[in-house]
Amino acid sequence: MKAFLARPIVRIILAVVIAVVIIVAPITSSPYVNYQLSIIAVFAVALLGLNIVMGYTGQVSLGQSAFLGLGAYIAAYGVRMEWPIVLTFLLCCVIPAAVGLLVALAAARLRGLALAMVTIALPIIGVPLAKRFPDFTGGSQGTSVSFLEAPDWSGLADDQWRYYIVVAIAVVLFLLGRNLVRGRIGRAFAIVKSNEAVALSMGISPYRYKVLAFTVASLFGGAAGFLYIAVVQYTSPETLSFATSINLIAAMVIGGSASILGTILGAIYFVVLPIAAGQIDASRTALISGAVLLAVLFLLPGGLVSLPRRIVQLTSGAKRRGGSTPANQTPTGGTAPDGTAPDGTAPGNTAESAAQKQPK
Amino acid sequence: MKNSLGPNKRVVGTVAVLGAVALMVTGCTRAATDGGAGTGSGSTSTAAAASPGITDTTLSLGISSPLSGPTAGPGSCSVAGLDSYLEAQNAAGGFEFGDGKTREVTLTYLDDTYDPAKAVSNYKQLVNDGIFAYVGALGTPTNAAIMPLANKDEVPQVLLITGASAFSKDQASNPWTFGLLPTYYTEGNTFGKLLADAGKPITVAVLSQNDDFGKDYVAGLNDAIKGTDVKVVDSATYEPTDTTLDSQVTQLANSKADVLLSAVSVTPLQVGVLTKAQSLGWLPRIFLPSNTSTPGTVVEPGGGAAYPAVYSTSLTKVPASPTFAEDEDVKAYNAAFEAYGSKIASVFTPHCAWSYAEGAILGEAFKGMEEPTRDSFMTALKSIKGFDAPLLLDGISVDTTQDDQPAISGLTLVQYNGKGYAPAAAY
Amino acid sequence: MAYTIQLIVEGFATGSIYGALALAIVLVNRSTGLINFAQGSMGVLSTFVAFGLIQLGVPLLVAMLAAFVFAFLLGAGVERFVVRRFERGDPDTAVVVTIGLFVFIAGIAALLFGYEPRQFPSLFPPQSINIAGVFVSMRSVGTIIVLIAVMILLQLLFRFTKLGLAMRAVADNPQSAGLSGLPVSRLLMIGWGLAAVLGAIAGVLVAPQLFISPTMLDFALVYALAAAILGGLDSPVGAVVAGWFIGIVENLAGAYVDVIGDDLKIAVPFIFMLIILIVRPQGLFGRKVTVRI
Repeated sequence: MKAFLARPIVRIILAVVIAVVIIVAPITSSPYVNYQLSIIAVFAVALLGLNIVMGYTGQVSLGQSAFLGLGAYIAAYGVRMEWPIVLTFLLCCVIPAAVGLLVALAAARLRGLALAMVTIALPIIGVPLAKRFPDFTGGSQGTSVSFLEAPDWSGLADDQWRYYIVVAIAVVLFLLGRNLVRGRIGRAFAIVKSNEAVALSMGISPYRYKVLAFTVASLFGGAAGFLYIAVVQYTSPETLSFATSINLIAAMVIGGSASILGTILGAIYFVVLPIAAGQIDASRTALISGAVLLAVLFLLPGGLVSLPRRIVQLTSGAKRRGGSTPANQTPTGGTAPDGTAPDGTAPGNTAESAAQKQPK
Repeated sequence: MKNSLGPNKRVVGTVAVLGAVALMVTGCTRAATDGGAGTGSGSTSTAAAASPGITDTTLSLGISSPLSGPTAGPGSCSVAGLDSYLEAQNAAGGFEFGDGKTREVTLTYLDDTYDPAKAVSNYKQLVNDGIFAYVGALGTPTNAAIMPLANKDEVPQVLLITGASAFSKDQASNPWTFGLLPTYYTEGNTFGKLLADAGKPITVAVLSQNDDFGKDYVAGLNDAIKGTDVKVVDSATYEPTDTTLDSQVTQLANSKADVLLSAVSVTPLQVGVLTKAQSLGWLPRIFLPSNTSTPGTVVEPGGGAAYPAVYSTSLTKVPASPTFAEDEDVKAYNAAFEAYGSKIASVFTPHCAWSYAEGAILGEAFKGMEEPTRDSFMTALKSIKGFDAPLLLDGISVDTTQDDQPAISGLTLVQYNGKGYAPAAAY
Repeated sequence: MAYTIQLIVEGFATGSIYGALALAIVLVNRSTGLINFAQGSMGVLSTFVAFGLIQLGVPLLVAMLAAFVFAFLLGAGVERFVVRRFERGDPDTAVVVTIGLFVFIAGIAALLFGYEPRQFPSLFPPQSINIAGVFVSMRSVGTIIVLIAVMILLQLLFRFTKLGLAMRAVADNPQSAGLSGLPVSRLLMIGWGLAAVLGAIAGVLVAPQLFISPTMLDFALVYALAAAILGGLDSPVGAVVAGWFIGIVENLAGAYVDVIGDDLKIAVPFIFMLIILIVRPQGLFGRKVTVRI
């Protein structure tokens, strides 16, 4: 299957088909479907940021919602002040990134869970802070802004225009992110994730790369905030809530951490699950959501992105006899220590598997 | 690998699968107009172009409230009471409309966990599914997020279960939106008037929630006592997520004020305020907001009898109270709730009674609806005056004709008398 | 001055709530190396069991003991059948599993009892005692005493009993412990079971004040996590002391620093935590971890 996908002709056809679907979809879909597709794109960007710092670099961040909210507020303010849209978007990227940078500079020296606690502080403090400055944020009432209305020359409806802009920005950000994680920096992230001592010995400063990862994550979070308010047209302190951060982490793991495709699947999960749960029984959404989350993780500990691999494992496991070397079982993409292998990968292997691993 | 198909066939197969996916995605045919995106089942009336969600025999309503999480008690009640009224009336033959038809009214409800983004998504889903109107939703930020959308889509967003004045204040700009309940401002104002009318110097301590609920309360109080000898000597705020308000109460007790306005909307926290203040030896007269004043769940556990006076405002009769056991409306409510609403809400909060009354108000509006359109509905809904909806206390009636007021703007100031509430005496 | 002492005393009481839950988190972390986001939910469900029994007329103490037994079985069962699969793998996945449990168990509690907060009887009498102008409620005093007792018992367990030693061995190095003949599986289950009991204790102590509801401990959980990490994730004493610290600092900052006020007072414990952790990364009472490369 991998060999099949690696063939250039197949890749080109796949890319074309996907592009066609993405471009054509909103023309014939209802505004509601376009809204949901746009929201998926928004959270895909936020999740990509989270994945970069958490999935690829192994640093727990419980504060991604704070950057999402900050970006949304900056965008809302910029629109109200009638700044040029491009400037507003840049600010939505730069200011959260600066905040993330400052936080990371202070906290990146801390051991994993301590860093996690500092990131928890971001949404916890962010919510009352947002209420404190009603002139900027609209206070607890929140603020509504409407922009990105379809220009007349396009002949499109508002929701279609928004979809195109949001998806276009998301695609660009995804390409940037993909290049980041596939390049030299991405490999450094992976080494920092697996073993900081090894990284140091290779001349890679874990501190610096953690700070970089966190800053990038905040940048993506802020950009996602801009897209969020473009689509939802409303933001309030609830956007910053801690619960959103937790749901983002869950979605990241469910989709498949350290995987670009996993990020998209995670975003789909994030948006679709509450709707599906509501269709089953609107009064029991917590029960259903929790059950689905547990079920997915039980069946696919590597996330939804590992589904093809899992099917291959299950079907070929029946046919395989003993004698296959551990190298054959290395996952083709996705997390290294897979929850299903109790024997795990011994610490010595991680350096080579980190180098071998091709993050999608 | 082990597959038997040749590489070209795999390519064709993959493209075919992806093409099928593409077709499915684009298969949702786009509605001709982008406004009320009905799925085609809505407008079948042969008369004037009917709005989506109404046929000759049915009308569908939608609601998104918190059905899970900390506000799920009131949220479930916002659905349960309404559903009870609607289903009971449907079982009795349906609603009579001003255009001569009798219709069954259905309610679709969704959970938004008090998250505005989810509420927006739910609203769009309901509109996409073809509801006629969006009614009775509970929550301030959630409804605030929907307000611009509903007004743009020209979908009624009415009789909302929130006391925020923002929804009813500016009906010129938001003609499709208004609230059901008296505003928090009105509550604070009513309390303040009682104090101002006493005509003597009174010191007041204020404990309020750190958002518009709290701010509106305080604004109402302040406006009523302006220029009188009633003064606010200390104030504190809290977050609904606080585990206890003991430190705020301690701070306010230091002021030794005569009166405490405890605008606390979270039941356990309110009980904590009542127990803490008396444990510190501070026994002011206390004002409680209407939704945290129920004797059984707040005043008694908090030891309210220790205070010289516990005031609140009240809107509806308490169905479980023996005082109203013989009341016809209460009996009807209890039967309807038992049959329909108890599936949705397991514990009573005042919102169950409020949403039941809301159902009756909708029924009144339907009676005045001469065309099966949203415009006609809004006109009828905004022309109700002097309507004594079931469960409303005597003296309070529905008046939707006011341009900047919610549907119910009257409040009765009541005082705890050891068992329940009775109209309040002067200060 | 009396006002300040009053605030400090209240901080102790609130901090005890955080500390009790933090103890549970520390215990789980010490025995299986995981952070259990479902700690609060499990405690709440156990407390609901007590609530249900009390509704049926069972005396309070008996109902509480039944709840503790239920909690132990719940914790052990969850470890064995749900979490065990994920313990050796990606820690992020394990944490998300506990998040799923958090939501699911709260959903079960809501299914059975609804979301609306209900009253729960208190073990302690409702009066307050007046010590030199400071009013201390019996309930606060009782909570603090129970917490201290539990903390001491846990320390004794870990330091001086075979079981405690075995549990520490399993936490440090499961393979060696297994090879030495320790019943690793059973010990892991016991660890989670005990932690769940701690969560249930926190639940029944807190329920009279907070009113029992499925989301009762949600916010306290965040503080408890902070306290656990601040105290050093492997120290029961540290967790409790950190809990008290957070409760007191929050109150004092909220009352005395005007800029902070009531709404931002939650920021203060986190800022302190950041400073302390920068200076002392292993937490106030944690052991310094050296890793051999």
